[in-house]
Amino acid sequence: MELFLMTVTTGIMVGGIYALVALGWVLIYKCSGVLNLAMGELTLIGAYVSLSFYSMGMPFLLALLCSLIIGLVLGILTERIFLDKLIGEPVLTVIMVTVGLSFFFKGTVEFIWGTDTRVFTPPVFSMEPIHIGKIIIGQVYLWSFVAAIILLIIFVCFFKYTRWGLAMQATADDEMAALSLGVSARFVYAAAWAIAFMAAGVGGTLLGNINGLNISVGYLGLLVLPAVVLGGLNSVPGAIVGGITIGVLQNLCGAYLDRYFPGGVKEVAPFAFMAIFLLFKPHGLWGWERIERV
Amino acid sequence: MTNERREFFMSTTWLPCGTYHQNYVQDHAWWQTKFIKAKMILLLIILFVIIPLVADPYALSILNLVGYTILGAIGVQLLIGFCGQVTLGHAAFIAVGAYTSTLLILEFPWPKILMDWGLAYPISILIAAIVSGAWSVLFGLPCARVKGFYLILTTMAAQFITVDFIITGYVSQIGGRGQAFSLPPGTIKVGPWVIDSDLKVYFMMLVLVIVCVIGVLNLIRSRVGRAWIAIRDNDISAEVMGINVIKYKLLAFYVAGFIGGVAGAFWISNLAAISPEHFPWFWSLWLVGVILIGGVGSIHGTIFGAVFMVVVMEMLQLAVMPLADIYPKLLVDFLFIKEAVFGLAICVFMIFEPNGLAYRWWQMKNYFNLWPFSY
Repeated sequence: MELFLMTVTTGIMVGGIYALVALGWVLIYKCSGVLNLAMGELTLIGAYVSLSFYSMGMPFLLALLCSLIIGLVLGILTERIFLDKLIGEPVLTVIMVTVGLSFFFKGTVEFIWGTDTRVFTPPVFSMEPIHIGKIIIGQVYLWSFVAAIILLIIFVCFFKYTRWGLAMQATADDEMAALSLGVSARFVYAAAWAIAFMAAGVGGTLLGNINGLNISVGYLGLLVLPAVVLGGLNSVPGAIVGGITIGVLQNLCGAYLDRYFPGGVKEVAPFAFMAIFLLFKPHGLWGWERIERV
Repeated sequence: MTNERREFFMSTTWLPCGTYHQNYVQDHAWWQTKFIKAKMILLLIILFVIIPLVADPYALSILNLVGYTILGAIGVQLLIGFCGQVTLGHAAFIAVGAYTSTLLILEFPWPKILMDWGLAYPISILIAAIVSGAWSVLFGLPCARVKGFYLILTTMAAQFITVDFIITGYVSQIGGRGQAFSLPPGTIKVGPWVIDSDLKVYFMMLVLVIVCVIGVLNLIRSRVGRAWIAIRDNDISAEVMGINVIKYKLLAFYVAGFIGGVAGAFWISNLAAISPEHFPWFWSLWLVGVILIGGVGSIHGTIFGAVFMVVVMEMLQLAVMPLADIYPKLLVDFLFIKEAVFGLAICVFMIFEPNGLAYRWWQMKNYFNLWPFSY
């Protein structure tokens, strides 16, 4: 029982990070209709940038802020250079451009930072575990979860209450109507990419704090895809629920199934679960079911 | 690429002045004029006689890589370009083919007569292709319920489940060999020939590629191919027209997996040992990149794409190597440069030449067919 509770709590905490990255993904999809397969690499870039700043002796929060700013710039640049020219092209073209971008980013990251595992030295969070009742949690997990939740709340407030956020919501809802009311669609696209870059960067930094940072953090960014599919591609609450579900599922599989199926069941389980889940609910939990006509 | 443009360039080639078709048989003929027939025979002579005579082993090994890429990419082309089912996990099916064939050769108690006649490897290729086709249908099953991006994700799941989990964790343990299966020299034998040099692999590659290309081209100009194209263009109207959409989608998955299996089973003849690292997710995406650069919805686009990508990467390597004396780190980092360049190439092609190389080729051909009076 204690093992179960502990796995679930850890799962929820890691899931919070996934939810943050998934939010960025859903945002891009909602606002501009781009199905982004480069999410894993966006997490990598953010993580490595903040690690570099941190290794230079900056305080952690300042390093995180710097990586946010660089993420903002990179997001706008990516949108302007690559995605802006593809508005109105078929889905496959756009997906493959994001695949191309993911290779480009990954190759660049590997070229600059190498493939060895790096850790945040000195460790940002203390190694002392926290006891809550009978449950023991690493401080890294707890603080990462808190940070992810704070950022999630900030982003949600941004969409609900600021002018820019409302413009983004309007574009996601009906692009034509938003355009006729004077919302600049190009601005919204750029903003969506910038926010996705920033969210992914923070997510990557937090994940890098947990296990050390190497290329496989990019694979963790890929886990976002099962998360968004679970929640439905165009639902922000769905992304958050999906992210946390995937985190819990992954940890449960690691704890219980690993005995019976040795060899990385933890990495594959989300994808297998997603493939089966899609057979029963092809549009995820809260995704729009589009009625198609000839 | 808009649909009209693609169909237009798929179906029409402007014939030389004064050549007219009078019935449908002529319309669908392989070789529409004597000149085209002569060109094709010339191509065959170049492939079978001249290249083996002049090429050195290095060039042959590159050509073999091109052939492997073509074999792998044809299946992807079939699924994406003709049936409209985007797949990002094709390396899984290639891996299934390669492992089935290897296991059959190494573990199966072949009757002596088959061994003596050198039939073990050809039979194992066939079985590998069938197994890998069935495996592909298994992961194609969700296409009955989902489409578009959701289907892409299930094919990705195929990659991770097959290669990273089943093959790495379980299949590799068979026989207690650890991670890699090594193929002792002399085990791969086709008829009286032991496949042990690049030249022999080259001939085998040529035969397999030609058989597969002709088979797929014939499928495409038959009822099956027309059904696939109808599904690609609009699956709802295809269903309304009386096409059994699920059956033909699964058939497309089967054929794609079949050819993927052939590709995998062929490639083991070129490797001393196979391990899961030969079939990473990168390779799945690479194959999709190859058909996008070559041109979606055209078989010779696949060939152009394969030649282009492999040759460009080799040239890149040749260009980088001299610099390695100055920066030794480059030698290690070449893989990363390759990845980045590949990604950038896809982006640039998608943005500036979304119809791929096949479209350019079509334009050139038409220009010369109508030359000098292009009206």
